[in-house]
Amino acid sequence: MTGTETSPAPLAVFRVAFGLMMFGSIVRFWSKGWIEELYIKPAFFFSFYGFEFVKPLGVWTYGLFAVCGISALLVAVGLFYRVAAVGLFLSFTYIELMDKSTYLNHYYFTSLVCLLLIFIPAHVYFSVDAYRRPALFADRIPAFYPNSLKLLIAILYVYAGLAKINSDWLLHALPLRIWLPARNDTPLIGYLFNYPWVAYVFSWVGCLYDLSIPFLLWNRRTRPWAYAAVVIFHGLTALLFPIGMFPYIMIVTALLFFDWEFVQRSGSCPAYRSHGDTVRRTVPLYTPKRLTRIAFTLFFIGQFLLPFRYWLYLGELFWTEEGYRFSWRVMLMEKAGYAQFTVKDDRGKRMVVNNTEFLTPLQEKMMSTQPDMMLQYAHHLRDQFAQRGFRQPGVYVDSYVALNGRMGKPLVDPTTDLAKVRDSLAPKTWITPFDDEIHGF
Amino acid sequence: MYLKKIALTLASVALFWACSTGTTDSTEPTPQPGNAGSTDRKAMLANLADNIILPSYANVKTIFDAMQTKADAFAAKPSPTSLTEFRRAWATAYIEWQKVELFDVGPAENHTLRYFFNIYPANTAGIEENIVTGSSASLDVPSSYPKQGFPALDYLINGLGSTDEAILTKYTTASDATKRIAYLKRITGQMNTHFTTVYSEWTGGYRDTFVNCTGLDAGCSTSKLVNGFVLHYERYIRSGKIGIPSGAMTNGVMAPEKVESFYKKDLSLTLAKTAHQAVVDFFNGKSVKTGQEGPSLKTYLNGLGARDSRTGTALTDIINAQMAISAAQLNALKGNLYDEVKINNSAVVQTYTEMQKAVRMLKVDMTTAMSITITYTDNDGD
Repeated sequence: MTGTETSPAPLAVFRVAFGLMMFGSIVRFWSKGWIEELYIKPAFFFSFYGFEFVKPLGVWTYGLFAVCGISALLVAVGLFYRVAAVGLFLSFTYIELMDKSTYLNHYYFTSLVCLLLIFIPAHVYFSVDAYRRPALFADRIPAFYPNSLKLLIAILYVYAGLAKINSDWLLHALPLRIWLPARNDTPLIGYLFNYPWVAYVFSWVGCLYDLSIPFLLWNRRTRPWAYAAVVIFHGLTALLFPIGMFPYIMIVTALLFFDWEFVQRSGSCPAYRSHGDTVRRTVPLYTPKRLTRIAFTLFFIGQFLLPFRYWLYLGELFWTEEGYRFSWRVMLMEKAGYAQFTVKDDRGKRMVVNNTEFLTPLQEKMMSTQPDMMLQYAHHLRDQFAQRGFRQPGVYVDSYVALNGRMGKPLVDPTTDLAKVRDSLAPKTWITPFDDEIHGF
Repeated sequence: MYLKKIALTLASVALFWACSTGTTDSTEPTPQPGNAGSTDRKAMLANLADNIILPSYANVKTIFDAMQTKADAFAAKPSPTSLTEFRRAWATAYIEWQKVELFDVGPAENHTLRYFFNIYPANTAGIEENIVTGSSASLDVPSSYPKQGFPALDYLINGLGSTDEAILTKYTTASDATKRIAYLKRITGQMNTHFTTVYSEWTGGYRDTFVNCTGLDAGCSTSKLVNGFVLHYERYIRSGKIGIPSGAMTNGVMAPEKVESFYKKDLSLTLAKTAHQAVVDFFNGKSVKTGQEGPSLKTYLNGLGARDSRTGTALTDIINAQMAISAAQLNALKGNLYDEVKINNSAVVQTYTEMQKAVRMLKVDMTTAMSITITYTDNDGD
């Protein structure tokens, strides 16, 4: 796939749409006051393992978002493209690494796209850069580049589909059977959500959609239908579930699969016109270097393997969430929890912790169902209470978690002193076993 | 192979769309009262508003007005008789209040009604200061909450002396008697103002807003109602009435002086039992007017088919069973809570423990079955 050449138009269209959407997302995030609420107000942040140095920057966090928004705009118009792409990737990824409680799969996807864009010449066509410096212009580019992005999209869908092949999703229509009745007041179609069979139809269609849509988009004959399905499917999820920008990101990224011949034919773009109809250039400069190919290959091997890392752990994935993130597991669980921490010291002092004193509602909600976050929080409590005069504080949690409609039960062994447990990627033996089985991926 | 997939996908999508826009003559589940399930949230909200919330507020209004009359009579002429009558009216109103404190939604939430009615223990030093300061002392800032409402009245009519005579002298011959009477009138007036605001908003249009906001997102009735309901049970019944005084939440350090109705000690258990029963009745949708059960959180959960997947027991049965155990523990406490905390502490702690089990069911199992976020935040998920 690396040998062939292709039109740069799809990448250019994608670049513009993606950049504008990113800019819009940043504006949306800012205007909703979420920067303040999520990154400035909280007193404590849940770092990602290995990225503990990534912290919010106080009031400068606004600057970080500004850099991200400006970079997105520059990428969109194709001005100082490479620098802007680097800026976009770094600022956006930094933002996403600041607090685990805001982790969303589509943010991760966005980060990965930004990373690839640094190495992809998406500015050689229909861009300010190409207009200002005609030497950059090309009207053919190696297919390697758009294909890489398409491959990433395909991975996302196929893995999201594979993750749905499990007994809860397919045999019990969970969690949709819980979520859909909550929308039974939707005009026209709402009453349907009271019927369990509708949840089954949604579950099966969703699974088949995820598994097949990349191939249907890739195939020229099915493409228009597939894109219509993309718009309908994601439009519907946007209507029914509070999933923010995700549907729009997918609707925009799928544009990449079209060849956009008419854009090239119409000659409507300034860069194209400036070089005349007869110019046909494939700048050798854009042929991916050996190092680039190796890097991309390693990147995709990593992408293929990462979602399967949960095989290294024994417990039920949905319960322990060991290896759950960065694996395109989307909308699979209705999980709710309650975690009450008790701090004890070696002189018999004891204190039940009021979580609202240390965490925001969002952080508390996320922490209550995820063991790794409980451990991080326990360590934070240990340090806080040591300052408050607790000698050698021990931290215990009384947790209660319900997964996909099962009755709640303790997620963490209440007798384990979490203050003494080291944080690592090793299996967490202090998680209470999930005494039920969810079969499948 | 591809074609098959395509066909299947398209067929499914087509089927789905055909269904969504098609006929409506299917066997729609009809809402029924009692134990039968229904997922009709509008019917539930209407029943809760018309048969529980509004009549309960109306009852409080009547009883509160009666108390105000007795308070005015006492203020006009402090005597053993007027004191006794005021006390009786106060106790009745305090009990009735327990049946509405749980509606922490809409006007009551917006105007933080609870804060002006029932934050205890009363700050007695602050009350005395306010009496001296007079009408310029603010009663609307957070620090003033424990200086007003039922707990402050409790102090003013039950806690100023060891005998009725001693109490009466504070309102008759004491040098600050006039100021004390003025403060007493001021806080009953304050309660009246806040309650009237909330009640008149409910009767003046909020009822329809409440019933028509059927979404489950953080801003709508069901979500706010459930959040307020769970919060009330957890923080104001489990912790406030039982957990904190018993020491169950603080390393066994008892704090009997933090019981509700501290100066009229034999009332505290009645208040707790009334509040607990109000929660149970609300959950089951029991009409305040007829005693009949109607569309409620219970019927909604039944309509959703919420059950323990292991045993098949309905979640509502599990919750009601746990509520019954908590109530039995609470009912087994005797005399007054202040003494029970001190001499029968383990029984009080046991009550807390059983309530804690109920909290988890309400807060986790119930809300997850309803797909309601308990600590609501306006944010994305995936």
